[in-house]
Amino acid sequence: MWRGFEGIMKIDFSFLSKYHEALLMGLGTTLHLTVICFGFALVLGFALALLRGSKIAPVAWAATLYVEFFRGTPVLVQLFWIFYCLPIFLGTELSNFTSAVVCLSLYGGAIMSESFRSGLKSIGREQYDAAHALGLGPWTRTIYVLLPQAVLRAVPVLLSNGVGLFKESALISAVGMAELMFIGSTISNRTARPVEVFTVIALIYFLVAFPLTRLVAVLERRILRRLAI
Amino acid sequence: MYDAKTQPLASLRNIHKAYGNLKVLSGIDLDMSPGERVVVIGPSGGGKSTLLRIMMGLEQITEGSIEFEGQPYITALNGKTRIDANVRKKMGMVFQHYTLFPHLSILNNLMLAAVKTRGMARAEARDKAMQLLARLGLEDKAGAYPSHLSGGQKQRVAIARALMLDPQLMLFDEVTSALDPELVAEVEQVMLELAEQRLPMMIVTHDMWFARNIASRVIFCAGGVVVEDGPPEQVLGDPLNPRTREFIQRVFHIHG
Repeated sequence: MWRGFEGIMKIDFSFLSKYHEALLMGLGTTLHLTVICFGFALVLGFALALLRGSKIAPVAWAATLYVEFFRGTPVLVQLFWIFYCLPIFLGTELSNFTSAVVCLSLYGGAIMSESFRSGLKSIGREQYDAAHALGLGPWTRTIYVLLPQAVLRAVPVLLSNGVGLFKESALISAVGMAELMFIGSTISNRTARPVEVFTVIALIYFLVAFPLTRLVAVLERRILRRLAI
Repeated sequence: MYDAKTQPLASLRNIHKAYGNLKVLSGIDLDMSPGERVVVIGPSGGGKSTLLRIMMGLEQITEGSIEFEGQPYITALNGKTRIDANVRKKMGMVFQHYTLFPHLSILNNLMLAAVKTRGMARAEARDKAMQLLARLGLEDKAGAYPSHLSGGQKQRVAIARALMLDPQLMLFDEVTSALDPELVAEVEQVMLELAEQRLPMMIVTHDMWFARNIASRVIFCAGGVVVEDGPPEQVLGDPLNPRTREFIQRVFHIHG
């Protein structure tokens, strides 16, 4: 008990100031990675959502299988598989950055396809009737009536998915990429001060994610009000 | 080719419609003249709305055929419904729940189909849309979104959106049923103005006073067939058929 008290007494964050550049660099890498993967995952997610609604059964099955596989396995396992196994099939080494981008994009796409799908599903039959009565063909209907509504409805959830990716990116440290978590682990190992280091790391993740989740709530309210008819 | 003086605008022959075992329409025959305003009344589940949706090409039919302006429009052949898309363009429809596109401004709601499917130039479509909105007293709403409008305004926009495409027959499916009572009049007023211009209409409504005001002809539909068909004074005032009589008495009793 005494030792524990002594341990608490010794908590001191000041030593971290000399690592602030490393921490900022780590955060930069994390954000960079998140933004790239978010972009790829959006495109992949939308394509998957459309494919899952395809009238050609094997196409719909394949897309569904893909989504279920990536939702049903741990991201860390997916990452290791892509990092260690994929190069064997491709016959070439993948950098840890490429592995990370591939992994988070494939995973994010699977998650986001669900968000797009529920956006598409939430459009009532009446919108189809109206489009039909106005003589809009399938293409015009999809591009000008269904897609914008599906995307608008999906925006808050997609942003949440983006925040999810930002947090999942901490796993990338496992393949030795110098993002925020990896920098944190390195500082912790070198200084043997995990309490201070991981407290600060957690705070940094939170300070980035919190405004975004607030933004999601605000957008959700606004969009729902706009689309309420 | 089509002679409005001698030929019916629309002629429905032996229209049958079933959802599986459930028969909704069991042989509807109807000739509609140009300029006629046919109000369809009847109990819920009697097939009124289905009839309108069939006219719009939104529902398949199990048997029968429809001609429009002397041209084949809809035919049922071996369980498949063939709909002539070019004839279908001559129908306009307004629904109970407005069905405006919520992500588009009022102006764009009106312009979308005209520009994308009728090949109208944007400037031309905009002019036409603004004229229509002005006619319906909605010109200041052109830039607004549907969620900012009252139910009555939304329904008037929906009418304007259908009028953009110059329909030869307007189908109104219970367009005031979802409205607050104080908003009904503004929508009915617009419809009465269209009636004065002799725009042919088929109207499904539960509002018997409005039916009497706008109809040139009233059809009582029940059990999937036309029970009574005649001028509004007859069908709404002094019906010949006992089933119609019972329905009218019940409705007027409730409302009166």
